[in-house]
Amino acid sequence: MTTRWRTTATLSRALVLGCLGLGAAVVLGEPVALVLVGPLVVHAALALAARPAREPAAIAEIDHVSLHEGQGTTSRLWLRDAEDAEQVTRAMGVAAYVATRPADGCVSRLLDEGVPVLEISPRRWGRRLLGHEQVALTTRWAGYRWGPVTLPGLQMHVLPGAAAYTSRAETPQPRGLVGAHRSARVGSGTEFSGIREFQPGDRLRRINWRISTRTRRLHATTTRAEEDAGILLVVDAVADHGRSGGVDGAASSLDLSVRAAAAIAEDAVRRGDRVGLRVVGGSGRQLSYGSGWLHLRRLLLALAAIRSGTEGHHSLATHAPVPLRATEGTTVVLLTPLLTDAIATVAASTARRGLPTLVVDTLPPDAEPALPEDVDPDLAALAWRMRKVEREQVLAGLAALGCPVVAWRGPGTLDEVLQRLARRARLPRVRA
Amino acid sequence: MTAGRWPASQLVVRAVVLVGPVLALAMMVPAGSTPSPWVFLLVTGLAAGWAWRPESVLGTLGLTVVLGWWVRADLGVPAEALVAAVGLLAAHVAALVAAYGPPRLVVGAATARLWLARAGALFVAAPVVWLLSRLLEDRSEPPGVWIAAMVAVVVGSVVAALAYGSTQEDPVREA
Repeated sequence: MTTRWRTTATLSRALVLGCLGLGAAVVLGEPVALVLVGPLVVHAALALAARPAREPAAIAEIDHVSLHEGQGTTSRLWLRDAEDAEQVTRAMGVAAYVATRPADGCVSRLLDEGVPVLEISPRRWGRRLLGHEQVALTTRWAGYRWGPVTLPGLQMHVLPGAAAYTSRAETPQPRGLVGAHRSARVGSGTEFSGIREFQPGDRLRRINWRISTRTRRLHATTTRAEEDAGILLVVDAVADHGRSGGVDGAASSLDLSVRAAAAIAEDAVRRGDRVGLRVVGGSGRQLSYGSGWLHLRRLLLALAAIRSGTEGHHSLATHAPVPLRATEGTTVVLLTPLLTDAIATVAASTARRGLPTLVVDTLPPDAEPALPEDVDPDLAALAWRMRKVEREQVLAGLAALGCPVVAWRGPGTLDEVLQRLARRARLPRVRA
Repeated sequence: MTAGRWPASQLVVRAVVLVGPVLALAMMVPAGSTPSPWVFLLVTGLAAGWAWRPESVLGTLGLTVVLGWWVRADLGVPAEALVAAVGLLAAHVAALVAAYGPPRLVVGAATARLWLARAGALFVAAPVVWLLSRLLEDRSEPPGVWIAAMVAVVVGSVVAALAYGSTQEDPVREA
């Protein structure tokens, strides 16, 4: 670091006025000049006497680099060789969706009271780069200043907020080995399935003695197997519609998608299910199926890395099918504002394959397109109305295919449609 | 707490920066000399610029104009000069505190208390010089007595500061 101590404007002012006052008193014989500048001369002398000897160094750190939106952490400043300093000033630049305390990100304190800290709270999920910070140290009597030194902004991984979400609906097609979902097949679970005649291989503890004595033939109680399920979360990150006001404000379409995906994933992991992620647009990130809290953290980090856009997505540009790699038994949950044809095609094709598919509509009711300056607003409004009419047609088409569309409203959002899908999955099917 | 983007404490210190030089100039009126309105206007303008930019050279210019007008008026060493010295010192210290950070910085209570106490201690130099000048006013002073007095004050201050010394031992501080 090449920053060095420099004299302050205060010391320069005191020295200049002190010299002028002394000169006027001596040359012109006006002692009033000494009366006026006497305090400044003393100040200059004391400030010069407090000349610093060592070059300090400053490093800023935050206590947590990864946390959920709305949570808070502390930015601390570490100083080395700062014995000559008396006052420490920190000023952090403004960063999008990052709240600080003090609210303006600026704090100054005497070093004897301790190095000042800044409290930081990211207000929106994503990768947040804190503003550059400027640090200045001032010596006793304010004669010398070190800095302001610009410290680079630190990056935080802000995970989507853990929205309250629980689902009591059974999963349509559980296909795993062990889990909490009632399977359609008989197995070694705990939920009653039926009573049938004893067969070789049945466990003795399954024999139903009451029925057996009544019928004089051995009968055994059967139970349903319990399996885990797979959920594939498909997040539409082609564009972000609406305005995002952070964790406490209005939610954009991508806010709703990411927070809903996080909530569904957390609920699934809590129940022992496997969860995968596919981001369409933006980063295009894919995360294979997994379970457990470590996998959930990976998934939340992947959600936090989402950015809207279509760059590098050839399939979106050419309207080619977007491969999902959803296996049989997987429930596909699409979180989308349904304004992209490719996403509607994905929903329709997975529904046609027989996979339980449901669409969570994340378009905010008050969403409006962001217009460049050179676009006629009336023309844009007309185009937006037409786009919404087309969207209604897509919704109707998906409903005709048996693909339910629900708006995200927190706990229980998916229960009704999941129960319907589960009932449908148990119906006998004729395969071509 | 805040007015617009500037906190109240910043408004207070900058108001002192603005008023101090004007007060120092205005004290010439009861002392027997009325500066031209143009001088008042000039000092007010420089003080306003200084209050806006506490680290600018406008402060030095404004205080120099006030000092020059006092010297030019040849009023002797009236008691009003002490009030003028208060104005100059208050503006100087307030500008120093305002320059600790950007305008949105809240001036801490401990910092304000420290500089109030220091300003009080620094001001002692003014009445000492004033008393000396009044005592020696009617006497034929030996050559260089004012310089000798000032040098004595400065040397005394430096010795006091050095004696104050550094008391910090820990190499790394943490909040």
